[in-house]
Amino acid sequence: MRFFGKTNIDFMRPRNIAYVLSAVVILAGLASVLIRGLDYGIDFLGGTELIVQFREPVEIADVRRAMDRAGFGRAEIKTFGSDRDILVRTVEQAQGTEVADKIRTGLTDYFSKNPYIVLKEDKIGPKIGAELRRDALYAIIASVVVIGAYIWLRFKFIYGVGAVVALIHDVLVTLGLISIFDGVLNLEIDQNMVAAFLTLVGLSVNDTVVIFDRIRENQKIFKTMPLEQLMNKSLNETLSRTIITMGTIFAVLLILLIFGGEVNRGFAFALVVGTVAGTYSSIYIASAIALEWVNRAKAKGAIIN
Amino acid sequence: MRKYSFKITLIAASVLLALYFLYPTYRDYQLHKEMAAMSAEDSLSFYEQNEQEIRDNRQKRIKLGLDLQGGMRVVLEVHVLKLIEDLAKNRDEAFAQIMKEVRDEASRSEESPVLLLRRKFEQRQIRMSRYYLTLRDDNDRITGYLEDEATKAIDRGMEIVRNRVDQYGVSEPNVQKLGGTRIIVELPGVSREAEVRQLLQGTALLEFKLLKEPEIAYRVMEAIDQALAAVTDTTDTASVAALTDTTKIATPEGDMTPEEFRKKHPFFGIAIVNPQQFPGEAVVAEENREKVRRMLEREEVRRVIPNDIQFVWSAKSRLLGEGQRYYTLYPVKSTPELTGGVITTARATLDPVDNLPIVTMEMNGEGAREWSRITGANINKRIAIVLDNAVFSAPVVRGKIPGGHSQIEGMDNLEEARLLEIVLKAGALPAPVEIIEQRSVGPSLGEDSIRAGLLSSLVATVLTMIFMLVYYRTGGTVATVALLLCILFLLGVLAAFQGTLTLPGIAGIILTLAVAVDANVLIYERIREELLTGKTLRAAIDAGYDKAWSAIFDSNLTTFFSGVILWQFGSGPVQGFALTLMIGIAASMFSAIFITRVMFYLLTDSSKIKLNFG
Repeated sequence: MRFFGKTNIDFMRPRNIAYVLSAVVILAGLASVLIRGLDYGIDFLGGTELIVQFREPVEIADVRRAMDRAGFGRAEIKTFGSDRDILVRTVEQAQGTEVADKIRTGLTDYFSKNPYIVLKEDKIGPKIGAELRRDALYAIIASVVVIGAYIWLRFKFIYGVGAVVALIHDVLVTLGLISIFDGVLNLEIDQNMVAAFLTLVGLSVNDTVVIFDRIRENQKIFKTMPLEQLMNKSLNETLSRTIITMGTIFAVLLILLIFGGEVNRGFAFALVVGTVAGTYSSIYIASAIALEWVNRAKAKGAIIN
Repeated sequence: MRKYSFKITLIAASVLLALYFLYPTYRDYQLHKEMAAMSAEDSLSFYEQNEQEIRDNRQKRIKLGLDLQGGMRVVLEVHVLKLIEDLAKNRDEAFAQIMKEVRDEASRSEESPVLLLRRKFEQRQIRMSRYYLTLRDDNDRITGYLEDEATKAIDRGMEIVRNRVDQYGVSEPNVQKLGGTRIIVELPGVSREAEVRQLLQGTALLEFKLLKEPEIAYRVMEAIDQALAAVTDTTDTASVAALTDTTKIATPEGDMTPEEFRKKHPFFGIAIVNPQQFPGEAVVAEENREKVRRMLEREEVRRVIPNDIQFVWSAKSRLLGEGQRYYTLYPVKSTPELTGGVITTARATLDPVDNLPIVTMEMNGEGAREWSRITGANINKRIAIVLDNAVFSAPVVRGKIPGGHSQIEGMDNLEEARLLEIVLKAGALPAPVEIIEQRSVGPSLGEDSIRAGLLSSLVATVLTMIFMLVYYRTGGTVATVALLLCILFLLGVLAAFQGTLTLPGIAGIILTLAVAVDANVLIYERIREELLTGKTLRAAIDAGYDKAWSAIFDSNLTTFFSGVILWQFGSGPVQGFALTLMIGIAASMFSAIFITRVMFYLLTDSSKIKLNFG
C-alpha cells in the first residue's frame, strides 16, 4: 500500500503566502498573549493549589462563597475534569502550609454535608516559582541554541539559522494558540508544558533534519541544479515519509489529547499544534530561509550554494 | 543463519537481560495482586512468610513517581538568616535594623546571606566582632565562621530530617540536598499531611538515656521471648526459612538445631544477644528489623515490658560478620537523664595522643552540674545519646565528669564522629527549617492519571502497529516486532537503573515510539525508492539502511540533546520525561535499525517467506 507515487509539487513557490500566514498566526497569538495573558500554573506562579473531590457535585459559585468567607476572595476556582472535582488556587503566601489549611477548613465548614477528599495539594514558595520560571526559560533557550549549533556543524551555517528561526516560529505559534484556546481547553503553562515545548522543539528539528539531510545528499549528486529546484526535489522525495511519520505522531498525540485526561491535556495540545507547526516550518521557514539567503547572495554576485 | 550468529546472540542476550531486569516488577505486581485479594489477616501472614521476596522485588521494580502512586514531596529550606541571628551576642537596636535589611534583600537576591550581612556592616562601618566571636577577630574570620556554621546547620537539618523519616517507617523515602540550603523529602504513598509536616518541622529532641543493666535487660528480653513462644504456633514458624546465617552469632542453649531454637525462641531467634560481645543490647539483622518492631508492638509483649524500660533502635545499621548489616536494639530507661538543650557546643576531632576520632562536648552551667551528678552515679554504665527516638551512640561512662567538658571515644572513623557532632549540636542549635514547597497527590488522582495515560498509550501503540502492518506488510511486521522490543528495552533499562516512571515519563515513552516508527519509515521509504530504481531486494535493503542512517542519526541526536537539557533543568516529573526519552532514543536506535536489519537478512536468506515493503 502507498499513499503517494512520485510527486512533483512545487513547494517553494507559494512561500511568500506562507510567510504571510505565519506572520498572521504569530501576531494573532501574540496579541492574545498580550491581551489575555497566559494561564500560568502553580509551578510558576507560586502560591497554594488544592484539587478536591466532593462526594456530590458542587456549584462553582458555592465554592467561591466558601472561599470568600475563608478570606480568599481572589482565589481562582475551576472544575477539574468533573463537577465534583474542584481546583482552588491562590497566590497568597504564608508560613508553611497555612493557606492550604485555611482553604480546607473553609471548605469543610461551608460544605459540611458534602464531604471531600484532597486529590492534590501543592504549595510553591515565592522563590521557587521564580526559579522554576527561570529554569524553564533557560531550558528552552539552551535547547534551541544547542540544536542550532549542531545543525550548523553538521550542515551549513545558514541551515542552522533556518532551523533556529523555525524553532522559534514553532514555539511562538504554539504559545499563541495555547493562549487563544485556553478559554475552551483550560491550558495552563506549567512544568509539563515546558516538557511539551522541549519535545516540540525536538520533533520539529527532527523533521527539519530529515529534509536537510536529503538536500545535502542531493546537492552532492546534482551539483549544478538551482537550489529552489533541488529543494523541491528533496521535499517531494521525503514527502511520503513526512506524511506518514508526522501523521502517525499527530494521530498518537490526538489520542492523548482526547483520552489522556485532564492532567495530560496541556501537554498533548502543545504537541498536536507543535507537530503541525513543526512539519510546516521545516519547509516554509527552515528551508525557505536557506533558500532566500542563497538567492540574495547570488544576486549580489557571491557564489554560495 | 550462521553468519549472523553473533548479532543474533547479541539481540537474544539483550532481550533476556531486559526480561531479567523486568521480572521483579512483574513479580511485585503479582504479589501485590495476590495480597490484595486476601483478607487483611491472611495478607499479613502472607507478608510475613514472603517478606524477603516482597522486599527484594519492591526494591528492584520500576518505581512509580509521586504523580502516579500518590504521596508527598516537601522541599525544606534551612533558615540561614535565623541561624545568623541566633548566633549573635549582645543583640541591640542597630543589629535588629541590619538584620531587617538583610532579610529584605535576601528575599530578592541570590547572594549568600552571610555576605549580605557583611556588606551591611561595612556600609555602616560597624565591626562584625561587636556581635560575633571575640573583639580581636576581623570581618574575614567572622564571615568564614558564619559560612561554616551555615553549612553545618544545613548538614544538621539534613541529618535530623533523614533520621526522622527513617524512624517514620515509609517505604522508599528519598531525602536529598538541593542546592545550597534546601532539602527535598519525597514520601511515596503518604497522605497524612499534617503528621508529616509535624514530623519535618518540629524541633529536634536530643536526650541522654541510661541503658538498663545487662542482667535486667536480658531478663526482660527473656520474658518477651517466652511471651512470644506462648502465642506463636502458626505465625512465626514460617519466618525460619528466611534465616540462614544468623546462627553463627546466636548462642544456642543445649544441642538444638537452629530451626528448633528459633521455633522455641521466636525473639532470640532473630534478636541476637551476646553478653560478651554486646552486653545489655540485642542486634537484629537489617531484614528482621520490621519483624522485631512488630513483635515489640504486640499486646502480649507490651504487657511483659516494665514501665520504666523502653526499647530504642540504633539510628544506623552496622556491618557485622559476613557482609550482613545489623541494627542494635537498646533497652533504656524510659525517663531521660538529661535533654540536649544544655549542650553549648560539640566538635568532632582527632585525639592528639593516639590520633583516634573523638567528639568533645561542652555544657552550660546547669547542665554541667547535672551531668556531673549523673556520670558520678553511673560509672561503668552506658548512656545512650538519643535523637528523635533513635540511638546514635551509647558510650560507657568512665568516671565522673565535672565542669561539663566530656569526650566521647570509640568511633570507627572521623565520619562517624562528625555525625555524632551533628547530632549533639541538634540539641543545642536547632537548624530552623521552613517548608517552601509541598506537593501531595492523592492516590486516586494518581490512579486516574495512570489509567488515562496507559489507556491512551496502549491505543496509540496498537493503532500505530496496525498502520505499519497494513502499509508496509512484511516490513511492517518486522517494524512491529522491533517496536515491541523497543518498549521492552526501554522498561528494562529503566528498571536496571532504578529509574522512576512519572506521568510525563509515559508521554516520553509514546514519543519514543514515534521516534522508533520514524526510523523505520525513513528506512522503508528509502528501500521503496531503491526498489523503484531496479535494484535487487537485498541491494535495496542495504542501500535503504545506508542512506537513511545519516537522517536518523542526526534527527535522533538532536532529540536526545533536548532530553539532556530537560534532564538538566527540569525537576521531578519532567526529569522522568527526559529520562524515558533518552533511554527510548537509544533503545529505538538499537531495535529499529540494528534488529530490523538482522531480521531482514534472515528473511531474505529464507526461501519460505516472501519479503515485501507494501
